[in-house]
Amino acid sequence: MIEVRDLRLRYFRKPVLKGVSFTMEKGQITCLAGLNGAGKSTVLKAIMGLVPLDGGSIRIDGTETALHLAGNRRDLNRFRVQHVSYIPDRLAMPPSMKLWEALRFMDDFYPGIWNGGKAKEMMTFFGLGERERIANLSKGNAAKFNLVLGLALDTPYVLMDEPFSGIDLFSREAIAEVFSNSWLEDRGVLITTHEIQEVEHLIDKMVMLKDGVVAMAFDSEEMRLAENKSIIDVMREVYRP
Amino acid sequence: MAPEDWLMFEFNTREPVYLQVVRHFKQWIATGRLKAGDTIPSRRELAVLAKINPNTAQRAYREMEEQRLIVTEGNSPSRITGDERILRSIRTELIEDAVDQFLMLIKHIDVSTDELLELIRQKHAVNRSGRETEQ
Repeated sequence: MIEVRDLRLRYFRKPVLKGVSFTMEKGQITCLAGLNGAGKSTVLKAIMGLVPLDGGSIRIDGTETALHLAGNRRDLNRFRVQHVSYIPDRLAMPPSMKLWEALRFMDDFYPGIWNGGKAKEMMTFFGLGERERIANLSKGNAAKFNLVLGLALDTPYVLMDEPFSGIDLFSREAIAEVFSNSWLEDRGVLITTHEIQEVEHLIDKMVMLKDGVVAMAFDSEEMRLAENKSIIDVMREVYRP
Repeated sequence: MAPEDWLMFEFNTREPVYLQVVRHFKQWIATGRLKAGDTIPSRRELAVLAKINPNTAQRAYREMEEQRLIVTEGNSPSRITGDERILRSIRTELIEDAVDQFLMLIKHIDVSTDELLELIRQKHAVNRSGRETEQ
């Protein structure tokens, strides 16, 4: 389990996170929702230790990883890399690389964590050719390759920032299939997305950010069972101005 | 059933997905696409085929086991029950649900039972003859 507690962060003196608390569990798909600028991506970056925090605690399987509470930065980074794979909202590899070079780079960079066999399976599933150059990938294929790089890391947790944004319908559908199959089996997944329709029926748990705090968190099947409300119904109630 | 037959297409976003999966199974049973004793996919396989969350498949199977729609013995794959009483009750249940929905829809329309039954008799006869010519 990843436990985020009372996360606080200011950006140019403007408070972005004002005490964000939630948990995400292994074997579940958790969706972090919020309007533009609500701090969804910032929360993911905070879990990865990529932004300096003003306060709060982040425990990964019981280990404290917030730098101001925990010890050695290098040990923490190693621990995080072994436990959490972070898939940013765009491909972070040099455009001049060919796909096979990027795959080999991952293998060199993440020894013991990178699962080459899994990567190959996903390349086939998405129909990606290793000889292509990153610069020449369509938006949809770049998003798929980005996913391959993140999911082929054997970590118990995966964070995905906007995996559906700006790509065509069929690429979105192909990516949504990943949530049904064994590449995410038993892993804890945290996803931020605007395209909630694409994944609405796949989400276990919703965490809704608003005004720098978690306005509401709920189990989506329980919400449907108890109140006959879809995730979008609840989003309208929480976010409509 | 062929792999693509397990796909459930559109889900109603306001009803628990696991219950919709259970209803699909009941419809497949009532229409004869699934028969007594048929093996069904594993939970993981169903998740992939139907493109649903594996936890949802798990929950749907648990629900169907509780309703004794499917049976799982040891490590062998789950099967549709052989219990005729349960299979018959599924058919009745689906028909009753449909009739309830229909009655809800026409609740505010002033129509006598006789008029209604006559309409149903006519339309149902047309539907049935249409289905026979299809076959």
